[in-house]
Amino acid sequence: MVNEERLRHMLKISEFDTYEDKGCKPMTQYARKDYISLQMIKSFIMGTITFFLIAGLWCLYAVDMLMKLVNSMDYKDTLTTVLTLYAAFMVLYLGATYIVYQMKYTAGRRKVKSYYSNLKQVNQMYERDERLKNAGGTDTES
Amino acid sequence: MAALLEMKERMIRFYGKHEFWLKPIARFLIALAIFMCINQNIGYMSRISQTPIALILALVCALAPVGLTVFLASAVILLDMYALSLEVCLVTLILILIIYFLYFRFAPKNGYDMVLTPLCFQCGIPYVMPLAMGLLRGWYSVFSVMAGTVLYFFLHGVHENATVLSSAAEVEEGTVSKFVIVINQLVDNREMYLVMGIFVLTTIIVYIIRRMAIENAWAIAIISGVLFETIGLIAGYILLEIPDKMVWVMVGNLISILIAFVLQFLFFNLDYSRTERLQFEDDEYYYYVKAVPKAIVSGMDKKVKRFGSREDHLTKKKFAEEMGIDEELLD
Repeated sequence: MVNEERLRHMLKISEFDTYEDKGCKPMTQYARKDYISLQMIKSFIMGTITFFLIAGLWCLYAVDMLMKLVNSMDYKDTLTTVLTLYAAFMVLYLGATYIVYQMKYTAGRRKVKSYYSNLKQVNQMYERDERLKNAGGTDTES
Repeated sequence: MAALLEMKERMIRFYGKHEFWLKPIARFLIALAIFMCINQNIGYMSRISQTPIALILALVCALAPVGLTVFLASAVILLDMYALSLEVCLVTLILILIIYFLYFRFAPKNGYDMVLTPLCFQCGIPYVMPLAMGLLRGWYSVFSVMAGTVLYFFLHGVHENATVLSSAAEVEEGTVSKFVIVINQLVDNREMYLVMGIFVLTTIIVYIIRRMAIENAWAIAIISGVLFETIGLIAGYILLEIPDKMVWVMVGNLISILIAFVLQFLFFNLDYSRTERLQFEDDEYYYYVKAVPKAIVSGMDKKVKRFGSREDHLTKKKFAEEMGIDEELLD
């Protein structure tokens, strides 16, 4: 006979395996600090590329003005401005990364915990069944 | 109402029964609409802007995850832009990369939300997107609406200025370059900023009201969203002196409110879109389970769970302790 209680737990386990396993895998492999750090490193690289893409787009847009200013430009001032803008952009981008991945880790970890709780319940049910089976077998022999 | 509910039940049963086929068919139709829309409006490369190519691409998208639809749509757009001119292609590539890095980095699974926004713009009912996103998704969906809006206005601007931007058109001395013309579709497009701002606020308003613990929260959210959108856009168009768009704002919003109520009817009570088919086994049985979850409108979950105060490296022992399981279970 199908054990409905066990079926319910198995359903949850299978649901996790099918739909959440891939997304929640990092939550079983990394501590929060390591996970967030990894994402921050990825975001640092992507953010830097994005900033230079935006800067490139602006250069294309203002190429005429830049050509006129190229001789009279104070390079130190320009570099300071670019670095300040870069820092501001990165603070925003890394800040968003930190918040988003904190939330993702918390949600993922909650799912993983529920998964292991179901796994534990099913394990206990099987062990109980096994014990009952063995006890029945011993009774029959005696 | 009883007849409607009965019809809904029939639809749920039908969806549950034929879900295996309906999902790819829906993906195919959406992808086909996207490719046909691209071909019709910016199909500058005649070799790929043909219905058979669109059909083949849509068929591939039907069998693949949403990411591929976004990738193929981007590739087709880039090829069309390349056919128009190299400058436009370069700017489009940079724009797509920026959207990818800024948006898909955080929400890689929301590709459809972004591609549906330009599609709705093309159908004349973009106003439905903030309503739908606020009703069915989280607050973060504002980013997909923003990305879709930027992409639409950019491509629309390129379409409008195609003659000036085409490779054949030569830039005369003293006139602005093609780069400036194409980037101006983003930088100097006040209508785009207006629409984007109103859409973001509408999405947030609908999302906040929909989650309130009040009766008829969904209906109130829809009506508030539509009212804000209509009044905001009309006021904005008056300020920007684009009066000819005001009539369509009202008509489009009327259509959008109807679609939003259909969405409420379909998704509010039973979330059959999350029907799941699972397969597993134990020593005695094989289980083939189809689970149709009931829609639960969860309240604000304010509980914050913290996993340990010390954030050391994760060990198997520590993880097992945290999960309340035996260490052997992890082997």
